Amino acid sequence: MIQNLIDGVLTGSYISLGAIGLTLVMHILRFANFSHAELLSLGAYVALVFDALVSALVPVFAVKIAPLSLTWALSAAILISMVITAISALLIDRLVFKRVREKGQELSMVFASFGMALIIRNVIGLIFGLSPELYSKDIAFAMILSRDPLILVKPDQIFVLVAALVLMFLLHLVLSRTTFGYSLRAVAENPSLAQVNGVNLSRTIMAVWLIGGGLAAVAGVFYGLSHQLIPVMGRDLVLPIFAATIVGGIGSVYGAVLGGFIVGIAGNLALVILPSGYTPSVPFLLIIFVLMIRPNGLFGEARA
Amino acid sequence: MTNKLVYAAALGLAVGLPALPGTAQAQDCTTKIGAVLPTSVDWGRPIAETAQFAVDQVNAAGGAAGCEIEMVLRDTQVDPKVGVDAAKALVDLEGVKVLLGAVSSGVSMPILTSVTVPGGVMQMSCCSSSTAFTGLSEEGKTNGLWFRTFATTGVQSAVGAKVAADKGYKSVAVLYKNDDWGQDMARLIAADFAAVGVEVTTSVAINDGQPSYRAEVTEALATQPEAIYLALYPAEGTAAVREWISLGGTQNMILANSLKSDEFRDNVGMQYLGAALGTDTASPRSDSADAFRAAYQERFGSEPNGPGLANSYDAAMIALLAMEAAGPDASGPEIAAAVARVTDPNGTPVSADTAGFTAAKEVLAGGGTVMFQGATGNVRFDANGDVSAPAVIWSFSESGTEEVEYLSLPEVDAFIASLN
Repeated sequence: MIQNLIDGVLTGSYISLGAIGLTLVMHILRFANFSHAELLSLGAYVALVFDALVSALVPVFAVKIAPLSLTWALSAAILISMVITAISALLIDRLVFKRVREKGQELSMVFASFGMALIIRNVIGLIFGLSPELYSKDIAFAMILSRDPLILVKPDQIFVLVAALVLMFLLHLVLSRTTFGYSLRAVAENPSLAQVNGVNLSRTIMAVWLIGGGLAAVAGVFYGLSHQLIPVMGRDLVLPIFAATIVGGIGSVYGAVLGGFIVGIAGNLALVILPSGYTPSVPFLLIIFVLMIRPNGLFGEARA
Repeated sequence: MTNKLVYAAALGLAVGLPALPGTAQAQDCTTKIGAVLPTSVDWGRPIAETAQFAVDQVNAAGGAAGCEIEMVLRDTQVDPKVGVDAAKALVDLEGVKVLLGAVSSGVSMPILTSVTVPGGVMQMSCCSSSTAFTGLSEEGKTNGLWFRTFATTGVQSAVGAKVAADKGYKSVAVLYKNDDWGQDMARLIAADFAAVGVEVTTSVAINDGQPSYRAEVTEALATQPEAIYLALYPAEGTAAVREWISLGGTQNMILANSLKSDEFRDNVGMQYLGAALGTDTASPRSDSADAFRAAYQERFGSEPNGPGLANSYDAAMIALLAMEAAGPDASGPEIAAAVARVTDPNGTPVSADTAGFTAAKEVLAGGGTVMFQGATGNVRFDANGDVSAPAVIWSFSESGTEEVEYLSLPEVDAFIASLN
């Protein structure tokens, strides 16, 4: 039980990171972006490439940061991947979503995002093959925190949690303390009114994609670090991320963070109550349950 | 490419010229049998060609039940709807009394329940392994019309239990893939473990495509088993096993044949797989199997390495022997009843070729029984139309997998009998 709770919090950390980007995009651009989870795969695979590249160029970096299975090379690769994924997110918007947004309706955007998800997923599969990939083939053993009840935690998981919390805190500072954060919230509230007040709409949208892409890359790498990289990981993650976004309330960064942890914990606790074959239903049940009580999600607000 | 052309040419010849000139006796009648096989997929075509090969050999011996045999082949496209339509056409329009196929259990099943059983046609599959057929037969819903020459998943689970018993594991946790096959395996292995006195501490379903298997693994780990049984595919198997090992789970593993994969070995790591033993069914090591290999090589110019080839050959051959035993104008149920006469362990042994079929004809005409020694060994069906198969226990090695123990058909049968 305690073990399930701890695991849930740790799983929640990368779901939250993914959900933050999604909630911003869904709120500001007003469409359900089903391709967001593919940015996680993209980020994870970009990091895989640069991890290998950095390790080969600077062998000193191929050393593990004890007790983690993370190497210095991978840490560097994460930063590179954040930049590349963020730019990719922006490019995808410029090439696809922007055009659809200008001509089509909300539903066209949803279909476009479905198509984009399939393209990204299959291109990754085409390049890297359909088999799972790993950052490190060594298995990182768990530390025993307590023997009775048995509680096991992997050092990597602690790192992922701490790093995710730090990133979230930084984002919080940006959103709440800077003019940029203020204008971002203004656009989310009312794009026309924000523009009248001198907020540059296209630049704000750009920023949203960059933030969403960057955080997605980190979430993808953290997922890969905890589990494995597989071209269909976006498909596997899209549901938990959407659940976190909807449960937290679309548009609320704090809601997304909380939603991520709720989905993570619920997924892990589900096995205590449900037979293992039924656990995939938990995110759905959670969405229904929360929406019945709070139709706009935990932190969401109704908007006209 | 050239091989495929040769196959196509061979098939074209075989189909185009059903009445080969110069056969033993000139026949003035033709009996049609049906075949529903996935010829549109690359591994399905050789299965159909092998069945036709058996038909040709029988025709060279003068056909079965006094008539030339013509195999009418229809494609299933591995699709239950297409398969049922094809089978319906063969039964209703061509009037076949014997149907060979299909390959996938999911295709064979609707054909059996909606075409062959209602139509009173004998169905013999080369390749369907689901134990759902055994259940259906036990409920008396197949009317004894169903046979298959492919061993059920039951063989594999029995050998899994043998590994646990041989290794002396007292308790085992089971992780299984949450699909038809995995659920089948989990159910079978639980019964088999119980039969050899191994406790199943827990049985946890692993769903496809979940972001994390941590909770599932934790659940199995909490029961502190001495060993773990894995009926998983490589992708989720790798994820679950890495999680399992990182949490300090035992490295005593028993693996289903689905994990016999380099991908799994490489991603988990040889250093953790030293105590892992896998199970699989094997092709028999008998003279008749070698003879089939040689005959196939001569006919098709390559080794019969594809899936289900030996099984397809035997399915066709046994069906034709049964037609011979049942006599001219026999109905489907009569032919099905005659299968026992041609797979009788106490019968006269006959080889799997033209000469064997000729010999069988004489014995059957005299009212005797024969024991068909086929490409998959001495085929013997149980009351549910199931066959057993030899098995291997394997382990991972630096270069792939290596055989630890070979269990011949009698050994497998004896072990399965000891479980019940």
